[in-house]
Amino acid sequence: MSESVIKVSELTRRFGAKTALDSVSLCMPRGAVYGLVGANGAGKTTLIKHILGLLRAQRGSVRVFGLDPVDDPVAVLSRIGYLSEENDLPAWMRIDELLRYSRAFYPAWDDAYAEELRRTFALDAAATISHLSKGQKARAGLLVALAYRPELLVLDEPSSGLDPIVRRDILGAVIRTIADEGRTVLFSSHLLEEVEQVADHVTMISHGRIVLSGALAAIKESHRTGERVPSLDEIFIAQVGTPGASAAGT
Amino acid sequence: MGGAARAIGWELRRRHRLGVIALGAYVIIFLAIKLVILGPGHPIRLNPPNGLAALIIAPVSMTLFYFVAVFSYGLSGDVAARQSIYPSRMFTMPVTTRALAGWPMLYGTSAAASLWIATAILVRWSGGADVYVPWVWPALLSAACLAWTQALMWMPYGLPGMRVVIAALWLAVVDAIVLLALNYKASELVMVAVCAPQIPFAYLVAWYAVGRARRGDNPDWRGLFAPRKTIASGFSRIEPRFLSPARAQTWFEWRRHGRTLPAMVAVVVPFELLLLFVPGNDTAPIVFLILFVVLFTPPFMAAFAAAALSTPTPFTARRPLTSAALIAAKLRMTVWSTIAAWLLAVTFSVVALLLSGRMPVVVERARAGIEVTGTLRGVAVVLFVFAAFFASTWKHLVQSLCVGLTGSEWLIKSSVLLALIALVAAGPLADGIIRSRIVQSAIWDSLPWILVVLVVLKMIAGSWVAIRLYDSRLLSDRALVSGAACWLATVLALFGVLEWFAASPLVPRYFLGAIAILQVPLARVSAAPVAIAWSRHR
Repeated sequence: MSESVIKVSELTRRFGAKTALDSVSLCMPRGAVYGLVGANGAGKTTLIKHILGLLRAQRGSVRVFGLDPVDDPVAVLSRIGYLSEENDLPAWMRIDELLRYSRAFYPAWDDAYAEELRRTFALDAAATISHLSKGQKARAGLLVALAYRPELLVLDEPSSGLDPIVRRDILGAVIRTIADEGRTVLFSSHLLEEVEQVADHVTMISHGRIVLSGALAAIKESHRTGERVPSLDEIFIAQVGTPGASAAGT
Repeated sequence: MGGAARAIGWELRRRHRLGVIALGAYVIIFLAIKLVILGPGHPIRLNPPNGLAALIIAPVSMTLFYFVAVFSYGLSGDVAARQSIYPSRMFTMPVTTRALAGWPMLYGTSAAASLWIATAILVRWSGGADVYVPWVWPALLSAACLAWTQALMWMPYGLPGMRVVIAALWLAVVDAIVLLALNYKASELVMVAVCAPQIPFAYLVAWYAVGRARRGDNPDWRGLFAPRKTIASGFSRIEPRFLSPARAQTWFEWRRHGRTLPAMVAVVVPFELLLLFVPGNDTAPIVFLILFVVLFTPPFMAAFAAAALSTPTPFTARRPLTSAALIAAKLRMTVWSTIAAWLLAVTFSVVALLLSGRMPVVVERARAGIEVTGTLRGVAVVLFVFAAFFASTWKHLVQSLCVGLTGSEWLIKSSVLLALIALVAAGPLADGIIRSRIVQSAIWDSLPWILVVLVVLKMIAGSWVAIRLYDSRLLSDRALVSGAACWLATVLALFGVLEWFAASPLVPRYFLGAIAILQVPLARVSAAPVAIAWSRHR
């Protein structure tokens, strides 16, 4: 548990005049389910892109499995399963082609598990991705992210705009991942109730800065007022407290 | 309604204001050159066109294509899709379907007609032109072509790609009618009568098309091909797994972009070869002219296909492959794409020559050629020509990778602008060189220095890229040395072939050496991994 899967130190990122991340430091232990919460535009996706090596650190450093994801993309990306907020799977591929193509990159790809997931997610192997609904595309993305049992699973706003059935599928898959000992989940969301159900560590990010980070139980305990334990929603509003940010918790 | 008209107009203007500003600036610069620098004593010669005419014809043609793309919403939609490319977000606007179809069409036809009228003013003003330039019917023809394109682009179709085929065929029919009328020396009034009624007809088709798209009435004829699809999916199920990530990525690139060039060649070349079937086109010069046009088609089309294959995507960026491996997959795909395009071009040409009965003309000329050069040299010449065209096609596919893969919009737009400027300037420059013996002799005298400068620039660019590749560890030392050795070997081989073919006292060796160095791609292809790494880890 003590070994860090992700270690972010003093990470700063600017896009023109806008500071997307401001001296962010983060240390994710192995085997945890980590909830990254914040309002839209808080910097969650920017942080995840740095973890995937899709953005180069302007200041500070990012280490994943002890490696720099920009310098060593193969070693890092082959151990990460990623589900993007903007589902960007190639629209022209069929599901069976997507599986055949994806398994070439991951030595640990498990055909039996992939088939089990495909059936669980009710995806037709001959269906073309462009013909799938938004929820089905999210399931296809999740299938590909899970089928090689990655050491680190990164889910970027996986539930935004999805129906309750898909949310249940995603949460179910996350829980299964937790059950597999030793693997780690980074789960970004603005649906705090959802995060509260599955995460055991939470980091709150607002305007590019980390405002609160720690074990969920400890955070709740520290915000306790008498006998009443506040919800994550209430803690978030108390911490961030801006009208724009409060909408995120809805 | 007024609000909707203003809103649609504002959106079109807002999104493309830079294009309009650039066009205005160009007109002002052209007028300044024509009035102030050249003066009234320099008429525009259109028959045959002189350099000044090229400064008008090329930008006006490009602007008309730009207008067609903008007003048909072709820049933001998938032209090959079955669904209408009319922006679906506009369907929820509280306006009638007539307004949705009518206002963009009105703006588009007005812009196309205005473009012609502005061109006619430019041509006539100060010095004039050597041929009569009509005012009305070309303006109406431009407007009609744009209106038809809008209507056909907005129509939903039953099959993917059907839009492109139908639009191309219908516009060819519209052009053929006009050319026929011109051939019979129709009066301007008749030409107006031919062109003008097309616009309301196009509007009715557009209204119908937008109406269908708005209520989601998209036909789907793909079921007609269900048995074939079942067979295909059966085959795909028994396909073996990819042996390596590199092969998987090459397959991905092939499926994504590899078929674009062969498809373009398969569409265009048959039309070119149809000329072989025209009665009277049976003389050797005409047959060989048609074949040369066919030979130039794959490299020409490759320049257009290249734009698509150099688009980076986040999905590709997240593949657990090195940037060099991603580029290697693209390069392998371009080789297969080039081979497929040339197989199609050669097969179509042979079939067309056989079916049209023109094969004996080619065989006869080939025999005559072999008698002069000898069999070995004759075969070598043919192989060399084919190899040159093949290499040129591949080069056109890959040389812009280093720009497109950066994903930098300003860099891509700047390079397109530079290419267009070079295209526009090529005509007047060539015209100036042909006309002036002083310029010709100056170029001839300084040819060695021109070549030296170009070679030095290429080597500096190549060295800079090699240093970047080494510093960023994008390529291993062994790969860098092997790449440099391969490039050198290719240059030497090309130099040897050129020396064998063209050695004569009139053609110095340094000239052949410089040509070999300049022709074999180096800096731009090598820069592709640097570009993708930059875009992948911004």
